[in-house]
Amino acid sequence: MANQGPTYYSPYPTAVYEGVITPPEGKALLLTDVVDEEIAMREIAKVMLTSENATIFPGPQVLYGYNEEAKKKAKLIKEMAEVLNSKMIPMYDYRPKYPKIDAEVEINPNHPNLTIWHNNIKAAIFIGVHCHYANVALKIVRAETDCYTVAICGLSGHEDAMATLRDQHSSELEKFIKIAKEVKAELGK
Amino acid sequence: MGLDIYKINPEFKDIMPQEIIDLEENATWAQNQTKPRGIKELPETKELLEEHSLCAGCPEAAALRYVLSALPKPEDTVIVNSTGCTSLMFPHIALHTVHSLFGNQNAVASGIKRVLNWRFPDIEKDVVVLAGDGATVDIGLDYTLQSFFRQENITTICFDNEVYANTGGQESGMTPKGQVFKMAPTGKKFEKVKMWELAKTSGCHYSINMTASAPKAVAKAVREAILIAREIGPTYLNIYTPCILEIGLSANEGLGEMKDQDKDRFASYKYVSPEAEEFLKKCKAEGRL
Amino acid sequence: MSTIKDMTETKNWSGQTLVTADHMLFEAPRNKHFMTGSEVLKEAVKRCTVDASVSYPITPQSEAAHLIGELWAEGYVGVYFRGENEFGVMSEVAGCSMAGARTITTTSGPGTLRAMENFAQWSGTRIPCQLILMARGINSPLTIQPDNLEVSYMLETGCMIWYAENVQELFDMSIAAFIVAEKPDVHVPIVTVVDGFFVSHTRESVMLPEDDIALFPYEPYKSPLPPIDSETPPGRFLRDPFVMKSNYISYATHASWQWEVRSAVERSRPYAEHFLNGLVHITGNEDAEIAFVTCGTASHQAKEGQRELEKLGIKSKVIKLRTIRPFPKKELLAALEGVKYAFVPEFNVVGWLEKEVKTALYGKSDTEVVGGPRVAGGMSLPAEAIIQEVMEKINPVKGA
Ligand SMILES: Cc1ncc(C[n+]2csc(CCOP(=O)(O)OP(=O)(O)O)c2C)c(N)n1
Ligand code: SF4
Ligand SMILES: [Mg+2]
Repeated sequence: MANQGPTYYSPYPTAVYEGVITPPEGKALLLTDVVDEEIAMREIAKVMLTSENATIFPGPQVLYGYNEEAKKKAKLIKEMAEVLNSKMIPMYDYRPKYPKIDAEVEINPNHPNLTIWHNNIKAAIFIGVHCHYANVALKIVRAETDCYTVAICGLSGHEDAMATLRDQHSSELEKFIKIAKEVKAELGK
Repeated sequence: MGLDIYKINPEFKDIMPQEIIDLEENATWAQNQTKPRGIKELPETKELLEEHSLCAGCPEAAALRYVLSALPKPEDTVIVNSTGCTSLMFPHIALHTVHSLFGNQNAVASGIKRVLNWRFPDIEKDVVVLAGDGATVDIGLDYTLQSFFRQENITTICFDNEVYANTGGQESGMTPKGQVFKMAPTGKKFEKVKMWELAKTSGCHYSINMTASAPKAVAKAVREAILIAREIGPTYLNIYTPCILEIGLSANEGLGEMKDQDKDRFASYKYVSPEAEEFLKKCKAEGRL
Repeated sequence: MSTIKDMTETKNWSGQTLVTADHMLFEAPRNKHFMTGSEVLKEAVKRCTVDASVSYPITPQSEAAHLIGELWAEGYVGVYFRGENEFGVMSEVAGCSMAGARTITTTSGPGTLRAMENFAQWSGTRIPCQLILMARGINSPLTIQPDNLEVSYMLETGCMIWYAENVQELFDMSIAAFIVAEKPDVHVPIVTVVDGFFVSHTRESVMLPEDDIALFPYEPYKSPLPPIDSETPPGRFLRDPFVMKSNYISYATHASWQWEVRSAVERSRPYAEHFLNGLVHITGNEDAEIAFVTCGTASHQAKEGQRELEKLGIKSKVIKLRTIRPFPKKELLAALEGVKYAFVPEFNVVGWLEKEVKTALYGKSDTEVVGGPRVAGGMSLPAEAIIQEVMEKINPVKGA
């Protein structure tokens, strides 16, 4: 199960060794199930709106304005944070930092668990992080925390997250925000 | 694209740390400079090296700062590293850099340079190798020299501390004869390799042996070497950055050691090929130096 | 020489019309040709919009490497040169691939072992380059003959490993290999293996699409980490950092990274199933109690053995593994359902495939695995040897 991690020394078993892989095109992954994108979007919004210290972790591909898509996504992610009542903590680069990171204000793929522990984050969205680094981080988070992780990915998605959306460009983010607003209204949050 | 990869989207400015904001706002890049970048801007501007975990006072850190300050076009420069003490600084350089294996740096750099030329025919992308003496002259010698033979358009900088520092002080090919280090418990049996001369005979158009005692001199050599590599062919800098830990000096004694060696093992050696000489004159006239 | 600027929306830099891998492999009309493995590799590379290739001579792969050089001279390949030795070549390939190039190289036997440190580094840095391994024996003593012991050294490098049986498969596989390796969720190196001489130097009839079409180019900005070209954030990016240091330890990073590389190999399964028409191919009698589990040329010999056995009234089937990494465990278990004896004929002395098969079957199958027949050092594997192995097992008193 890609459900919760093993809470163990090592980020193993990883989701693929439990038979879960990235969702096929047009679909999303919720825990171990391949589902329609919209169903996953609703669930993600609900989890974010009802979990303590829900946080968005924007990565380099959206933090920096290096193309039009990144600029558009930045605006949408800001809006998303407002709709989801969530904080934002950036993963602005991938370097291991010596001697330690400031877990209050940053998240680092080499020890993402520190930020989650420190801020007591129970649900988080990874967005704009390069897939390899997202996967390295997600495996560690899954192994070492009880945080519900969400990966909103521009490419193929991430099976080590508890929920993953794939091929997410600005139009999909708009759709997600719309759904999140509905869920928020339903929940009265 | 260039500098856009450092531009923070306004939506995130309030959550980004100062060091990243500074990179965008206060670092010197070729694009926002009219004059060549250089050592003189170091005090007022954001440096491309954020932090490092070398021994306090290690001259390698200072030398790397001089190197980075002098890159003609950092926003289009890739630096290829090797395993060793220098690798401890590499994650903190605000450029695209590579560490793959111990000793293969010039081979990796050759592949990168050729592909960048192929993919970006209209943009000058500089590729610089920066590695220790063990990496450059011992385990990686074949790849170093072969990249010179092939006339790869890359600059190779060796931070020569005359020892394998990162593994705890073993004798290297660049250690002076007679020196006692680990693995040479009765003293090194052969002369220090004259890598700068090998570089010349192997096809480098610019080869220098120097210490890092004078920041301006280092910066000048780096700039010239990179411009020549871009236009003409391979260039080599051998720079003494003593391992103060292994030779038993304290944190403030590195500079004195380098100054002493300016007159001895690192007495200035400079070779410039006639072609490169011509080219440097042209650069000077155009204000590129 | 071509330049990348000659590329348009519909044509690559050498003027070939860009097509999808599905079109190239499944739809484009094909014509019959007669060529060797080395020659067919040239035809494959020609149709793959390849940016870069680095070469080094060693029998039996030299000719393939020469022919890629010819493609470069003809303007089909962007960058090509001879490296200093295989360690250098594989490092140069790493550089090319990190810098965003679709990259291919070839080697054999001693070359593979010379280059070994690079392969784990390739997968660790997630480059989707392709290595064509034309297997030959490894020293000592020196031999240039076909023998696939070298593949066993590649098994845990984190690279995908596919194995082609013949010239036709080499063509189709080496094209599909780029496409699967470049999938963003896979994006690890791929090693396409053929047996040296038996495939590299044997002329066979093959069906090829026209050479005026070629694959769409590699898209480096769809990779799981930034290409090294100063064009993608983060601007501060080391590929790849030390994740240990006495005053900084992320004990989980290296472990997670390694699991991620292996996970990436696993994610290739659905893509490989599609492009290879399944990870195993089965010929012979579905309900046979005797099976041969094979890869490469041994499959061909086993098929001959299967036909001969059939004449003797003995039913058998050949389960040919097309991928070794990922290992087609599920497919193998399904194919071995009801099988009493699984023979593993191999071209090496250690029986690495037998070990792989046994590991996959352990605790999951009642099939008895028989490691053999095994030949090495360039010996051929005649059908008679295969038949004898079977007869001795099923009829130990009488023999063959
Ligand atoms: C193939 C291989 N052999 C040996 C090592 C061990 N090793 C790591 S760093 C190093 C010494 C580096 O020396 P040098 O290049 O002079 O750099 P320095 O640390 O002195 O700056 C050695 C031997 C290795 N990492 N890889
Ligand atoms: S060991 Fe030597 S070279 Fe390495 S950081 Fe310390 S002083 Fe510098
Ligand atoms: Mg050294």
